[in-house]
Amino acid sequence: MVDSGTGLCLTEGQLDERSAAATVQLRRRGVRAGDTVLICLTVGPDLLVATDAVIAAGGIVWPVPAELDEGRLRDRIMASRARLMISDLPRAMNAARESWVRMVVSVAELHSYPVSRERRTESDPTGRRTKGDCEGV
Amino acid sequence: MTPQVQHNLPAEPNRFVGRARDVAELCALVRGERVVTLSGVGGIGKTRLSLRVAASALPGFADGVWLVQLARVSDPELIVKEMADVLGVREEGSERLLDGLRIRLRGTRTLLLLDNCEHLVEPCAELVAGLLADCPELRFLLTSREPLRIPGELIWRVPPLDLPDERHPDAESVLFFVERAAAAGARAVTDSMPDVIRLCRALDGLPLALELAAARSSLLSPGRIADRIGDRFKLLTTGDRTAHARQRTLLATVEWSHDLLARKERVLLRRLSVFAGRFDLDLAEQVCADGDLLRRGEVLDVLSGLVDKSLVLHHGDGGRYHLLDTIRHYAAERLREAGEEARLRGGHLKVICAEMERCHEAGSLDSRLSWPARAVHFAKGRRLLDDCRAAIDWAVESGSAELGLRLAHAALTILAVRGDLRESVGWYERLLGLDLSGVPDQLIGVAKGGLAYGLETRDELDRAAALIEESIEEQRRHPYTQWLGVTYGVALTVFFRTGQTGTALRYLRELEVAAAEHDDLFNLTTARIARLNLALFQGQPRQAQRFGEEALALAMETGHHWTLARALTHLGAVAEARGDLEAAMRHHTAALPILEELDNRVELARCQAKVGRVAARSHDFPAARRSLAASLVLSTQTGRRSGVVRALVALSVLAQAEGDLDGAVVAAAAASALRESIGQHDAPARTQELLSLARDKLGEGRVALLWASGIAQDPGAVARRILDQKAGVGDVHEPANLLPSLPATPFVSSSGPAAREPRYATLTAREREIAGLLTEGLSNRAVAAQLVISPATVARHVANIMEKLGFGSRAQIAVWAAEHGLDHR
Repeated sequence: MVDSGTGLCLTEGQLDERSAAATVQLRRRGVRAGDTVLICLTVGPDLLVATDAVIAAGGIVWPVPAELDEGRLRDRIMASRARLMISDLPRAMNAARESWVRMVVSVAELHSYPVSRERRTESDPTGRRTKGDCEGV
Repeated sequence: MTPQVQHNLPAEPNRFVGRARDVAELCALVRGERVVTLSGVGGIGKTRLSLRVAASALPGFADGVWLVQLARVSDPELIVKEMADVLGVREEGSERLLDGLRIRLRGTRTLLLLDNCEHLVEPCAELVAGLLADCPELRFLLTSREPLRIPGELIWRVPPLDLPDERHPDAESVLFFVERAAAAGARAVTDSMPDVIRLCRALDGLPLALELAAARSSLLSPGRIADRIGDRFKLLTTGDRTAHARQRTLLATVEWSHDLLARKERVLLRRLSVFAGRFDLDLAEQVCADGDLLRRGEVLDVLSGLVDKSLVLHHGDGGRYHLLDTIRHYAAERLREAGEEARLRGGHLKVICAEMERCHEAGSLDSRLSWPARAVHFAKGRRLLDDCRAAIDWAVESGSAELGLRLAHAALTILAVRGDLRESVGWYERLLGLDLSGVPDQLIGVAKGGLAYGLETRDELDRAAALIEESIEEQRRHPYTQWLGVTYGVALTVFFRTGQTGTALRYLRELEVAAAEHDDLFNLTTARIARLNLALFQGQPRQAQRFGEEALALAMETGHHWTLARALTHLGAVAEARGDLEAAMRHHTAALPILEELDNRVELARCQAKVGRVAARSHDFPAARRSLAASLVLSTQTGRRSGVVRALVALSVLAQAEGDLDGAVVAAAAASALRESIGQHDAPARTQELLSLARDKLGEGRVALLWASGIAQDPGAVARRILDQKAGVGDVHEPANLLPSLPATPFVSSSGPAAREPRYATLTAREREIAGLLTEGLSNRAVAAQLVISPATVARHVANIMEKLGFGSRAQIAVWAAEHGLDHR
């Protein structure tokens, strides 16, 4: 998979690896079989990882285009009645304000490897993003 | 054995409806994540949900779940104080309370629930982040309209209750409304379910709004309530349509409920907003009745009306009331609007001052009442503390120096019994900075003495010395009061501590004359104890003994238990100095129950350490272990390092008495290192004696080695080593390990990493198969092709394996599978 915006690419192995870790993160936040999960991300590798992870966790993917304005986003978020949303967009976070969304998971949190439950939160997970692993390939 | 979990969670006032899955999920999150913040608008039910989660999470926290309510805390400085109060951490000399909290919480598996952080987001963020860094097993659950935004915080947005739709007419919000309406005595609400559903939707499923509506449902049908609130929305619907819908709904509902009140109810509700903490009927009558709009005799009826309408909450315990935060803010606005704020807050200051002075006098030093009769007044005074703070704030704001100083003085004497004086320093500094013209000189003198008292406990001796002289000078011009005696007592401490023995002796003589002349037994006891200390210091144990006996006789006559405990512990010290261990033991053990009753845990820890030391010297080793373990736990729980130092020194005595010189040296070294870390550098003579003895027996090199190891070790580990030694030679009846009977603490802990459950669970056959394939480096798609299943299914299995084994990547599975022979199919 190639990100047309940045030219970065993601191999199948990396995709499997990342979505497996992301699945564990989603499960830890309570996602169960049959749950609707909102995904509001721009098109790219993160979107693919998130989608795979939701499916692997047994969830139902409810994608929301990142380009929508706040009002439209709000309507779709309300309609989904989802408990969890994957997004980095401030607009989407605001739109989810008065919905049934309990937790908003950022891409960085999705990628933070749950190596050790105890130590994971000590360091900011944003440091662990490994986007661009195969830069230049 | 199942240790009893400690907590301070209140009983639920009524049935908790709905949110079952949320509670279960949050319970799991609270165990795994370090900070979970429940965020959302006022009235959405954050507090109630957090209490429910905290109660359900109790079994996961061996060292307790503690609720700290911050709604009534206005000063950021007081957050730490509030936490310390809840956790039983006491202040100590110049050490910061925060250090005490760290000692108390380090290594414990504790959940702290901080309720209502929104007005203190920044200080809370700083405090929480700091404590998390120091206490690896500590967890936080917070409620706040705004999240703290610190690393590692999991923000959980509390949604409203589920709304009904065609398929689910019995949604949470409907069940909640019906339940509360029935509790309010409404009969027929279920007859018109479509109206109930309409109302729940109109109120956005907000629990507080539903609660207020249900409280009216015995008089108004759900349909009419929905109509009326709908009309109100139209009035409110100006400007931003969507941004804060829930806030608007809540405001509309509160306003609607308020407007339905009778005139007197409105008057009372807005006036009740001046109370910072819980109040009882008597206080409400004194502060809110004016003989015009609202007469005293009417307050009870009107208050009951407000309780029925769910605007005021009533607590069964002691008939106390309080306002929910959202309601209190609304009511405070109405108070300002009515132009009554200054008058009411002024009245509140007056009433609280009078109440506190009554508590002070009734519990005070000169009456010869029985102790239990007096303790009631101390307890009552402490319950007024929140309102006392608010009243002092108003005194400063409105320049009412005289009332403020009177209140501070009355409150100080009540705080002193438990040894909490730090906060009063701030009160006095602010109040004495006001324009004092018109304030009686005597009161200013008294206040300076109070400030000096607080400063002395903070080790600010120079400032204290200057103030205390001014205070005595001023008070001497007026008739003798007991406070003058107390001020003399503070002066003795200050001047003995600064080495100005001449000045101290002069004050001591003045105190003796004045207290004797006015039959002030309490302060006569203080004087005798000062004489006792002086005699001991000068190496005259016999004289010390005489002063001690006199002090004890006086203390018994006053019936003031605090004085009694002081006399007893000093007599014990004298007996020990004279080598009469039996008498020392008798005096110290007599003081224990008194200190327990006073809840003065700092003194109790000191006393237990003394009992332990005496028992060790009398070769009653099991008793020594019991007392020293208890002392150590108390000092750790109250977060006082000087207490831990004292226990370590006593443990060193114990080890030496048992012939364990190694242990004695290590414990003395650990004590010495800890003592230096809190800025005390005076090494006791005993350490030198011990070291020279040890050098003779063990040799210079070995002692140096032991000393170095003691300095480097964790004090808790050192203490544990001595406490865990076979329980005294020649006593086989005593259990070898005394520690499990104690609450787990950082120093004496049996819990800890054990709480981390191994996530080992057997893999299914399919999972083992897939784990094996991963060793070959296959992708999900390739594995799927081999097993003839979908890639999504493979991904799910992989996630399951990672969860079961606690792994963070597929590569880890491959390594694990290879190590366990799963690759040889």
